[in-house]
Amino acid sequence: MILKGEDIEEKVNSFSFPAIVKSQIAIGSRKKAGLIKIAQTQEDAISLCREFFSRNVAGFDVEAIIIEELAKIDQEYYCSIALDASGRQFYLIASKEGGIDIEEVSKEHPDAIIKRSFPYSEGLTEEIARDVAIQLGFSGNLLQSGIDIFLKLSKITMKLEAQLVEINPLIMTASGLFAVDGKMILDDDTDFRQPVVQKLLDRKLSELEKIAKKEGFSFVELSGEIGILANGAGLTMALLDVLSELGLQPANFLDVGGGASKERVYKALELIFELQPKAVLVNIFGGITRCDIVAQAIIQALNDFSNAPPMVIRLTGTNEKEGIALLKEENIDAFQDVMAAVKKVKEVLSE
Amino acid sequence: MFISENSKVLVQGITGKQGIFHTQLMLNYGTKIVAGVTPGKGGQQVHGVPVFNEVKDAIRETGVDTSIIFVPARFVLSAAMESLNAGINMTCIITENVPVFDMIQLVEKSKEKGLHLVGPNCPGMLIPDKIKLGIMPDNMCHYGNVAVVSKSGTLSYEITKAIGDSGIGVSAYVGIGGDPVRGTTMQEAVAYYSEDPHTKVIVLIGEIGSDEEEKTAVFIKRNVSKPVIAYIAGKSAPEGKRMGHAGAIISGDVGTAQGKIKALQRSGALVADTPWEVPQLLKEVL
Repeated sequence: MILKGEDIEEKVNSFSFPAIVKSQIAIGSRKKAGLIKIAQTQEDAISLCREFFSRNVAGFDVEAIIIEELAKIDQEYYCSIALDASGRQFYLIASKEGGIDIEEVSKEHPDAIIKRSFPYSEGLTEEIARDVAIQLGFSGNLLQSGIDIFLKLSKITMKLEAQLVEINPLIMTASGLFAVDGKMILDDDTDFRQPVVQKLLDRKLSELEKIAKKEGFSFVELSGEIGILANGAGLTMALLDVLSELGLQPANFLDVGGGASKERVYKALELIFELQPKAVLVNIFGGITRCDIVAQAIIQALNDFSNAPPMVIRLTGTNEKEGIALLKEENIDAFQDVMAAVKKVKEVLSE
Repeated sequence: MFISENSKVLVQGITGKQGIFHTQLMLNYGTKIVAGVTPGKGGQQVHGVPVFNEVKDAIRETGVDTSIIFVPARFVLSAAMESLNAGINMTCIITENVPVFDMIQLVEKSKEKGLHLVGPNCPGMLIPDKIKLGIMPDNMCHYGNVAVVSKSGTLSYEITKAIGDSGIGVSAYVGIGGDPVRGTTMQEAVAYYSEDPHTKVIVLIGEIGSDEEEKTAVFIKRNVSKPVIAYIAGKSAPEGKRMGHAGAIISGDVGTAQGKIKALQRSGALVADTPWEVPQLLKEVL
């Protein structure tokens, strides 16, 4: 393993080639992203390492590189334990085709995939593990090591509360089975009892997303020009859909959360202004969120930020009359109808 | 779902900020809240409702059969387990950010006991003018014959209010929640309302993520003769980003809005383009 900042040439010296060079980065589909490649020579490996360490994908840096000498691979396999959320159970999934996109294969050749379900309370039994190993064609020593690998996968799944633990590919060589690449999906909401989740969460969010998390709202950066402040995840998504259908591109997704305080709404606006949108659309359906509080935050933000973009506001629900009256005193219009507000955004942008 | 104006309601986490606030609103609506539970705070009262240390004390003293949970995420597993073990018929979890593995254990327990679980990360349930077991706005609609089943909160308020404003009444409103593992799935809720004699039409509000809408569509095609109207949020959502709800994420081409819309259309459901089109589609089938 070579860590970022270590002497690449010295480290690469200790391997013989050809070898496989693999980036260690917290994203899936590394092969597709060009982050796993074969080096025929030492020189190849050095230049691949330099290239990988300079890459940043979806906000993640390559933090380490693993080099593995190429063994003669007799066969590649896929195996994983996956949560079936709507079925509220787990699957052991395996296939004789390794190194593949399992979703593709399951669509085109569903017969090529072995899939066995088991409930949480029972866990993966040795019996199921054995059945699947036999179906993969393992026998003798390989049968036992296949069973062991499946049971270990299940142990990891339960211990880390993972929604997916995957080995892809699992390879068979003359000296046995080896896991070449792996992937896990963990549950953000276990950060209070799973230290590894806490550590990963810290790294995977962008700076703006970290601020959002701290302030208690959901935020996703998008690439358009209209800043969005809304409440409710579903309602915010619906609003983005309506905008997109009219050819208007949102700069972000921001659900300010239920019962937002003036400070939280103000922080949300501040964050949106940092994206430098051409206009901002505020869409609040007040349940526990109070429209007058939202109005106060908007007025405050417009006073504090002299270069704020034009704002279009739609307020409805709890204390809407008070909120709209407050805005009116400052000569700010507010809509009650969403489509009217969206139309106004379109006008503002074409000005 | 499994509640009525006669339900005797327990609030778990009644002495917390959310518990105190929403107990008042539910009492104002006319919900029969007869007990609260907060461990260590037995003997207190909240808005005149007696507080007990344990669920079984509350059952013995007041006969509660329904529970609504407001405790913080890390205590939901033990609170809901206590409710299920004590035999409470319907337990509704409002709390957000409950770990998925905790929910799997709770769902297994509820099935084993033959009891009902709704949520987490949901606004609860409402039978307009009869009982409010949740945190939704009071004034969305009056009683009628349309059942609304939704993954999301605010979006369903918007749609339910639009239904109410158009003069159509609602037989029940159920927020099943925005998490990947739910106490009651969309298909289970649809199955309930397809048998419910007070419901003529079912409105489904879905969003990106999971395969629940697709499974529900298969169920509708085979088993539901009542008209179904649907709206799916997230047509423009990018792949791989969690859109607010823990379950609202597209991975590869699994969980897309387009896939769900197609599946629902194939099942015979009418799918609205925007949330505000739902009342108009309702008028066509009522």
